[in-house]
This record gives sequence, C-alpha cells and structure tokens, in this order.
Amino acid sequence: MTAVSAATADVPLLEAKDISASYGHVHALKPTSLHVAEGELVTILGPNGAGKTTLMRALTRLTPSRGNVFFRGRDVSRLSTNRLARCGIVMVQEGRGLFSQMTVRENLVVGGYLHPGDIDTHLQAVFELFPRLKERLDQLAGTLSGGEQQMLAIGRALMAKPQLLMLDEPSLGLAPRVASEILGTLRELNRRGIGILLVEQKAPLALKLAQRVYVISLGRIVVELKTDEIESHHDLARYYLH
Amino acid sequence: MPSLVEFLQSIVNGIGLGLIYGLVGIGFCVIYNASGIVNFAQGVFVMLGGMVCQVLLAELGLPIWLAIMVTIPLVALSGMVMEFAIVRPMMHRGATLFAIILATLAAQIMIERITLITFGDRPRTFSEFTSGGPFKIGGVAIGYQLFWILGCGALLVFLLWLFFTRTRVGRALRACSQNSEAAQLLGVPVSQMMLVAFALSAALGAIAGILVTPTQYTAYNVGTPFGVNGFIAAIIGGFGRAGGALAGGLLLGVLQALAIVALGAGFKNVAALSALLVVLLLFPNGLFAGFGSAARSQ
Repeated sequence: MTAVSAATADVPLLEAKDISASYGHVHALKPTSLHVAEGELVTILGPNGAGKTTLMRALTRLTPSRGNVFFRGRDVSRLSTNRLARCGIVMVQEGRGLFSQMTVRENLVVGGYLHPGDIDTHLQAVFELFPRLKERLDQLAGTLSGGEQQMLAIGRALMAKPQLLMLDEPSLGLAPRVASEILGTLRELNRRGIGILLVEQKAPLALKLAQRVYVISLGRIVVELKTDEIESHHDLARYYLH
Repeated sequence: MPSLVEFLQSIVNGIGLGLIYGLVGIGFCVIYNASGIVNFAQGVFVMLGGMVCQVLLAELGLPIWLAIMVTIPLVALSGMVMEFAIVRPMMHRGATLFAIILATLAAQIMIERITLITFGDRPRTFSEFTSGGPFKIGGVAIGYQLFWILGCGALLVFLLWLFFTRTRVGRALRACSQNSEAAQLLGVPVSQMMLVAFALSAALGAIAGILVTPTQYTAYNVGTPFGVNGFIAAIIGGFGRAGGALAGGLLLGVLQALAIVALGAGFKNVAALSALLVVLLLFPNGLFAGFGSAARSQ
C-alpha cells in the first residue's frame, strides 16, 4: 500500500504527531501522525490487531504514549484523560463502557459530570436524538439491548459536550439495521459540527459517513485519503468496500 | 443454658457491636469500590477516632460535641494522607494491587506504633454521650450509648445512600467503581475520587470509634480486631456492597454475642470465623450478593 496525501484543513481540531505506544516490549503503535479538522468525520480502518484501539487509547491517554497531541493548536500531550475530556475530547470505548449497575438516568448524569448546571438541557437534547432512552430512564444500563446500550454510550458522551467525539467500534455486535441507525446518528452529530474520529469494522458503512480515512496496519498508518478517492485504489476498494 | 433475658441481652449487645462492624465494613467497601484496594488499615481509623476524641476530651477539656467535630475531620485527613502518600505513588509506579494492600497493612502497623509512642499503651475511654441509664425493658438493660450507636448508624446509612445516589461526587464514585476508564473519559478525576473515598472511609471509621469507645475502651492496638471483624462483615455482605456490609456486621455482632453467652468469651472469634467459613463455602460471593444489584441501582 502506498501513502496518499489528502487535503488538510487550516486549523486541525486534533493533531497527533509521531504518537506511539507499547505494551511492555511490544510496540503496538509505532510513531504515527494524524489529524482531524474542525467538523470533520474521519474513520480509521484496519484489520484486527492492527493497533486501532491502541491508537484511540493513546490519543486519550488511557494508554501511556509518546509523541505530541495538539487540540486546536494547544499541546495536550501531557494532560490526563479526564483533563482531555474537560478540553472537549470524549471517547466511547469499544464495548461501550457503560456503568452497568447504574440506571440509564445515572449514566447520563455522570456523563454530564463536567457540566452540572446544564444537565436537564443536555438530557433533553439526548432524548431528542435517542427517544428510546427516555422510556428506559430507570432501567439498569446492563439490562438494555445492545443497540440501546450503544445509544446510551453515545448519549452519555454527548452529555460531556464533546468537540471531538471518538468512537471505537460503535457497531460491534449490533444487527445491521441498528448499526446503520447508530452510524446515521453519527452523521447527524457531525452535521451539527462535532468532529468525529471513528474506528469501525463495518468499513462500507463507515466510508459512507467519513470525509477522510486512515488505514492502519501493523501499528502504523499506511494510507490516508479522502473517501471519494478510495475507488481509485483497487486493492483498498476490493478489501473495504465489497 | 442461658436464660431468655441473657439471650435477649446478648442480642442487644450484639446489635450495638455489629453496627460498629458494619460501619467499618462499609469503610472497606467505599475504598474497594473506588479503587479495587482492600485497605487493611481500616481498623486503625476506628482506633484513631476513639483515641483522638479521648485526648481532646481529657487533655484539652473540649466539650464532647466539639471533640467529635474536630476528631472526624482529623481522622479523615489521615485517610487522605494515606491515599496521597502511600496508595497514589504506588499506583503511579504500577504496583500490583497485592503490593498496595500489603502497604496498607504496613501503614496500619506504623500508625499503631506511632500511637503507642505518642499516647502510651494505657487503655482509654470516655463517658457515654448521655449520662444515666441503662434503660431497662423486662430484665434487658439497654445502655443509652446503644441508642446513639443505632441512631447514628441509621443516620449514616441514610446519608451514605443520599451521597451515593443524589450527589455528583457520590455518583461519580460509583461510576469509578464500575468502570474507572469510562469515568475518566467523561471528565471524572479518578485520583480525586480516590482521595474522597479514603477520607470518607476514614471518617466512617472515626465515627465508629467515637461511638464504640464509651462502651469499651480504646488503645493503640484495638484497630486490628475492629478491622478484621469489619472485613468479615464486608465479606459476609458480599464485598463492595455497603448495605450488605452493614447487614453482615449486624449478623456477625449478634453471632459473637450469642457465642459469648452460650459458649463463653473464648468462642467469640471461633464463632465469627466459623460464620465466615460457612458463608464462603455456601455463598462464595457473600450472603447478600443477590441483592447487591438492586441495592446499587437505588
């Protein structure tokens, strides 16, 4: 595969330079750079074990990393995970990361931890996006269906007022129709101006949403291109579109 | 064969002591839920509560209400120091949970020795909060301090329930206990939550110590038995479940009291450890594990 340049926006919302991470002696993520522009939806594709989740964890400092991360030009490389959330970088983890023994309402309220004065307003906004959550408010999160859990995970992240929403495999384990619904919601959020960095196994769905794509392999980004350019790369098109 | 009065009297005594075990057990749960650590120095907070309060009363002549108001924050501060000086650095250096748990045990021994050097080995006590009594029903004597223990215990459980379900920090603490990474991703400062957990846990221990000292005594080494019994209470209740720890404490306290009456004081700990063994064999997750989910969700 060959690296292909894509147009970059003037002011990146997120910019990572030579970010890398290791688990002991295993270099799970080799020095890698990427960026997400304001209001952009970018997807990261790659086979299992390529380093997608490690990249997301390194960007949010859940996994210790080297290299630099800039958010709207500000160096946030040394900020802790919770400080990054304060800046506006919020991630929905693979597996959703719900507080399963807490109710839907409590999950959402904890999501609004940083904005305690705006809880009711944000709750209404989440309910407009996911009306089903309003019907399940007093239900334990762990008892929701897979699709509802993912709605809650995204709704909870929205309570934190993200400027960049990162999602790791949001359609994992969901029926195709539900997955499509969830990814459609991401498109809507992106339309509202939230930058999105999406790791997704269902490549055809993700590529319909994204403006740009990074392909990661063996812990390194090997391709960067606009999604409308992917057809011209036959090997990628064959692998990810069909 | 104990008489009915002796039997009822032992149940009353057991309830008082059991509530104290329950409070210590809740202290274990608060820290465990926030961090996954079993703080074996939990009993030392009970000792410090009684000791500091006694010193403030006897040496400085403070009134009881003021001594209590000073003691609780002081002991809570000691919990925060333990988190900040021992647990947090070890966590940042990647220590295993086992190493951290061992460090809390070392901290307990250290604090006990410092207390011994500072205040000596003389057992100390102070008067019950309300003079007079005991209150008698039939032949059963109920000391006024037991009412304080019952009242404060019930109030504390209610306040803890309010804290964990109705406040921003309480909900965040519960969130940390279930998925600390997800909590961090939402902006919850997990290390500050740990500090809160240690402070809260130490304060609970201090209150337990203040409540129980008038009925017994305090000394540099009373923390260990309270810690062990509180730990057993927490396990019986299903470790990590505050309500379970309280119920486990009550059960343990009553069982110990009954064992003293029926078999003699020497069998008190045998009864406690037998109860623990039975619970572990029959209910590996604790007697109240089945109710835990519902309790947490409330």
